[in-house]
Amino acid sequence: MVSTKDYHSDYPNHWCPGCGNFGILDAMKSALAGLDLPPEKVLIVSGIGQAAKTPHFLQCNYFHSLHGRALPIATGAKIANHLMTVLVSTGDGDCYGEGGNHFMHAIRRNIDVTVLAHNNRVYGLTKGQASPTSMDGMQTKMQPGGVIANPFNPLAAALSLGAGFVARGFSGEGGQLSSLIQAGIRHRGFALIDILQPCVSFNRVNTHKWYKDRIAPIEENHDETDLIAALRLALGTDDRIPTGIYHRRESPSYTDRIGKLNDKALTDHRYRPELLKALLTDGYL
Amino acid sequence: MTIDISVLIGGEAGQGIQTVGLLMTRTCHRAGLYVMAVNDFESRIRGGHSFIQLRISDRPVQGPTRKLHMVAALDERTYGLHQSELTEGGLVLIPKDHADTMTQHHRCKTVDFEGVAKKAGSSILANTVAAGVCLSLLGAPSDLFENVLKSTFNQLEEERLAQNIQAARYGYTAVEDETFRWSWRWAMASPKGRLIDGAQAAAFGALAGDCRFSAFYPMSPATGIIQHLVDMAQTVPLVIEQAEDEIAAVNMIIGASFAGVRSMTATSGGGFSLMTEGLGLAAITETPIVIVNAQRPGPATGLPTRTAQADLQFVIHASQDEFPRFVFAPGTPFEAFSVTARAFELSERFQVPVIILMDQYLSDSLFVAEESFEAPETVATYTAADDPEAPSGYRRYALTDSGISPRALPCKGSTLVKVCSDEHDEEGHITEDADIRDAMVTKRFAKLSAMRKEIRPPEVIHADSEILLICWGSMRGAMTEAVRRLRAEGLSCGGVHIVDMWPFPDAAVGEILGKAGKFFVVEQNRSAQLGQLIRQQTGYQYTDAVLKYNGRPMCAGEITDTIKTKLR
Repeated sequence: MVSTKDYHSDYPNHWCPGCGNFGILDAMKSALAGLDLPPEKVLIVSGIGQAAKTPHFLQCNYFHSLHGRALPIATGAKIANHLMTVLVSTGDGDCYGEGGNHFMHAIRRNIDVTVLAHNNRVYGLTKGQASPTSMDGMQTKMQPGGVIANPFNPLAAALSLGAGFVARGFSGEGGQLSSLIQAGIRHRGFALIDILQPCVSFNRVNTHKWYKDRIAPIEENHDETDLIAALRLALGTDDRIPTGIYHRRESPSYTDRIGKLNDKALTDHRYRPELLKALLTDGYL
Repeated sequence: MTIDISVLIGGEAGQGIQTVGLLMTRTCHRAGLYVMAVNDFESRIRGGHSFIQLRISDRPVQGPTRKLHMVAALDERTYGLHQSELTEGGLVLIPKDHADTMTQHHRCKTVDFEGVAKKAGSSILANTVAAGVCLSLLGAPSDLFENVLKSTFNQLEEERLAQNIQAARYGYTAVEDETFRWSWRWAMASPKGRLIDGAQAAAFGALAGDCRFSAFYPMSPATGIIQHLVDMAQTVPLVIEQAEDEIAAVNMIIGASFAGVRSMTATSGGGFSLMTEGLGLAAITETPIVIVNAQRPGPATGLPTRTAQADLQFVIHASQDEFPRFVFAPGTPFEAFSVTARAFELSERFQVPVIILMDQYLSDSLFVAEESFEAPETVATYTAADDPEAPSGYRRYALTDSGISPRALPCKGSTLVKVCSDEHDEEGHITEDADIRDAMVTKRFAKLSAMRKEIRPPEVIHADSEILLICWGSMRGAMTEAVRRLRAEGLSCGGVHIVDMWPFPDAAVGEILGKAGKFFVVEQNRSAQLGQLIRQQTGYQYTDAVLKYNGRPMCAGEITDTIKTKLR
């Protein structure tokens, strides 16, 4: 049996005390251990930002890449060896800003990765600028007159693009978050878990209390397979922020749909000179 | 008798100009002749002007010429645009709506390509009629051409093949009463080597390097390479993905390579600009990747369908900060094949990015390659599923004398593989420690000495000459022919061609140039980028430069003219 201790890393952590990332880190450990996945079977790909540092604080394979580029790295890795469990650890700026185009197209491909988007609605690593999910009017040092833009709605965007698994968690609700991560990993195909979290250093608007006053688990009668119902939840009409699984419907993933990956991973093929010889013989223009 | 005939077939985009050229090229090749075909087209789907220029010879040909012996003009513009390129006594075939004229300089013969095509079934067959007309005048046996048509259209319905054969026959009879003064008796011989363009050769090279994954974003003139890979992927374990942009393309191949399959992308300068961020990522994470940059004139969109060699200094320096990389510039299809295979090997062995500089001219032109394209019997691997020494203590960036750390693959054993784009310690964790930073930069650069040993010296012809022409990449053919012509005129002239551009072969080039009285660089850019590089790396200053940057391939005649002017 895999335990959370197997995921323990001694690498020193420099997140601010009280950071929402700690709750997410704990939920990841318990989710992975709960699925009995050993660290050597897991690959975490991350971009750049405080969220993207997460894999350093775990025992696992990781590729801590470039700002915004975690999804294409994860896509390439998953195609090369689709037997790996691939998680993407990213933030609101990383995933929805710099990596926005990749986000859109990873969903279209339905690549089988689980995206944990740490959404604190502000840039932490660069010290407090607005992010794509910052609320309209939020004041920062860089936006002293307040943000002049509507916040990006990741759940509605993912749903409209056809994502098969769309969920929202909160860093302060570890138990629920852990089960959401497990469900996301079990889901065959692209899974987005947008994780709301406070930023104790730079976001004075969306505080822990602010979230506590608004979040509420999705009602039990919600039909996860009903896309329109999910969109209605995601678009919201009042102050409440529903947490849980908005939408879940499986369809063949990108690697499921590539015939030559059905029997074995690309990494497990061996070079066969006879194939190239045949092409070189027939391959006259 | 020496045959050296240039034929141009021109018309609008959409008239099947490239198909005519391909059919004629194949016919010549099948007869045992040497032939090459340069494609020239605009960045549009319909209209405009496009042409294909064939050079047919009984001796090897490696570049186009400026002088045309025959022009088949499927539209009026072709005649106007190419009239001045006709050699004295040349023949022009023009559609019916032109008057049949006899000029002082060349002869015009009217051929109603479309009218004849309609008799064969459809005006769309005008291109096949034109091929029939040209081949008839050149003296090619009609059954040879019909056999080429049969093997080209063999997968199509019989009706279409029959129509094409009929169009070809009508083309032959349309010029029965016409003679072409340079026609020759076609003595059938076995085909010389293989007819291939640079794009297909590079794709074969990728397979010879065991490429298993490629991601790309469509961009002329790199699309040909990917198209060939897509065709080949039907039979080999190769996955190809069209990415949302070039940034995604390069990062996808980095991800795939990290996970354990050899990966490449192909683009042109604009796409490469977007990939420079990823290039740096591959470098600091020491992930092997191969990028083909099929150059075209820029900056920005530039001339999308045309040729250039203006990205040399860019790709050598692309990305912030510094790191070792290989840059290669093949000059022929065979070099494109062998260099691409080598690129995969070197990239994986040294865990560094490799950039291959091709261009539109090399990618899209058809050449006769007489070298043997061999599939290697084995492909070495430099990765491990696990660290056999100590799986639990594995350090991806272990410091070694060679700078190369043992490379394990993620999720293949019990070893955990940790990779980081921040400066990192041996284990792969972020560090800001000054000593570790020094050690890591030193480690990455430690690879350079062994990398230099892999660099092959330039190829030199007539090394002991007073004057040397020196070029790189696709200028090989034109430069070689220019040297031959200048020597025939009594000049003491030799030639140097560089394929392995970076790490620059300083010592070898310095030794060659040190003996020459004068040397001229021959390049398709504005500022003599190779010349600058030679000065930087060897201290030798080029005497002068033969430069062309209008997007059209350089011909030997342009080189000889310029050299003679500069020597005057």
